[in-house]
Amino acid sequence: MIAFRDILIFAGLVALAAAVIASLFPMREGVSPVPACSDCAFKLTGGYWIRQYGNYAALYLGTREAARYGWAYVDGRPLGVGEAVGCDPMYVHVLNGLAYVSCNSNNSTLGRVLPTAAEGVDISAHPSRPGCTFTVDVMYNTSTTVRLEVYDENGRLIYSASGTPPVSFNFNASVAGTYRMHVYAPPLLDDWYTLYAKINIKASRNVAVYTSNSTEDLRPDIALKIIDITDYWKKGYDLVWVAPGPTYYRYGPPRSDAFADFILGWHCCYPCDRFFFVPHHVYLDEVWRLTFTPSGPVFTHIDDQIERESKYVYVDGKYVNARNGTYTGSDPTITVKFVSSDSKMNAEAVFTKVCSWS
Amino acid sequence: MWSAAYGLIALAVVAFVVLYAAAHAPNFKTVNLADQLYNAKKRLANDLPSFPRTNIIDFATNVNVVRVRTVNVEASGGSFPVKFPISYKLSAREDNLLYELYLNVILCRPATLQGGAAATLYVVELRHSLSQLPWLEVYAAVPRNATQYYDLLYNDYTAWGRPPTVGLDPRVGADADAGFVDYVKAEWALVYYEAFDLSILYVAAPPSAPYILVVDYPLTIPLACPRR
Repeated sequence: MIAFRDILIFAGLVALAAAVIASLFPMREGVSPVPACSDCAFKLTGGYWIRQYGNYAALYLGTREAARYGWAYVDGRPLGVGEAVGCDPMYVHVLNGLAYVSCNSNNSTLGRVLPTAAEGVDISAHPSRPGCTFTVDVMYNTSTTVRLEVYDENGRLIYSASGTPPVSFNFNASVAGTYRMHVYAPPLLDDWYTLYAKINIKASRNVAVYTSNSTEDLRPDIALKIIDITDYWKKGYDLVWVAPGPTYYRYGPPRSDAFADFILGWHCCYPCDRFFFVPHHVYLDEVWRLTFTPSGPVFTHIDDQIERESKYVYVDGKYVNARNGTYTGSDPTITVKFVSSDSKMNAEAVFTKVCSWS
Repeated sequence: MWSAAYGLIALAVVAFVVLYAAAHAPNFKTVNLADQLYNAKKRLANDLPSFPRTNIIDFATNVNVVRVRTVNVEASGGSFPVKFPISYKLSAREDNLLYELYLNVILCRPATLQGGAAATLYVVELRHSLSQLPWLEVYAAVPRNATQYYDLLYNDYTAWGRPPTVGLDPRVGADADAGFVDYVKAEWALVYYEAFDLSILYVAAPPSAPYILVVDYPLTIPLACPRR
């Protein structure tokens, strides 16, 4: 009768014999070979170490060579020829036949941290009061001084600054215009940019924009004449004679911190006033001045004529008293609308401050 | 009695041998690098629309950021600012993998294709943390109606009160899902410069495309070039 006891004794003897036989093998630990693979990852415990030779790297267990790889990297650094590293536990990633070894207690990681040194110039433009503010961010891995210079349309230097990167410059264009900006740090950087600080006029079809006088009667095609006089103040004039029609108006410069300045002349009817020998008050039914100031765009009444037609003036959709008054719009946009009972003379213009660069 | 004692001793010996063998056998752990790479990129793809948009100085010192260039564009509602993504620094760590990607639009130039068609050539710096170059797909986002597309951006601008980022807002691919743009395959080439450990991606996209998409599947990255 074979008892369970006899089976246990037999199994014990077998196990003892197996242990004795196994201990006779030179490999003291482990029964599975290190995988010879080109793409795999494994963790090794015991006395494993890796040595780099001239054209291959060998992984050893004790003195026995367990596997060969193309090159060995330990914690991201390639081993030099003849160099050896051992640790317990050892994490090995094999990718394309190269062994990436990590001795950290953390699992090793494939992939390295990128040395991404970002370099360059960033410009951003945004409306401010009264003008446009341009922010210039410069990032370079250098201690060279970066210089920034801004010139106006006439080539005059109006702003300059310098700093060591990373550095941020702020240039405020307080008068409408086109500016040239030079950012340089020889020999690393030498860039020119164009900065635009301007009032964009989006108008209905019967509106014309001028930069000098226009006295012609262009009705019915043109109902509203807008004359941009900003540039005269920039050039230093004391007095400007502006004629939307045959009658001249004298204007002094706006407040010194104004961004842009316009004269608007509108005529409310057609074909009225055509039979005068001299059409002396064409485009003078409503004359207004629009000045962009630090407190916003200011719309000021200059002159008007009494007409048979009823006429209305709106600023940002609100009716304004045409006879006297000053109206302040919202920065950076103002909408001006002239409405007549002669509806084909209705005119609308949207003035928007635009700050941009290229 | 004695035989029971022998039995217990034998049991102990068996247990010792089994435990010893189990403790000292090489320990293999399954590592699926392909899955980890996919997961890392998938996570970046999901988080991409929420990464901060910065200027060059913040971009240089942070990770997982998008560098944008703000430019005014015209819509029927007026001129408004739009952010164009030009550089990315992305990093995602899995158990056995560090996935890092650096993309930077160096410049854009008008180009003429062989057939005479106009194109915009994007020159993009690409750095990659793995020694294997990624297998890319590149698409150009071509609006079906450019005016309508910028009006859509203008609506976002007025609704959110901040400039929208082209291609990234409200999420990557939303433009195409809404039917405003078509993603068409763009011609591209990836050139590796060993001396600098740097790859340059050249992409020829239609001039009307406001942005291109660089796809390291499943990571889809919109890149734009506002200075034409």
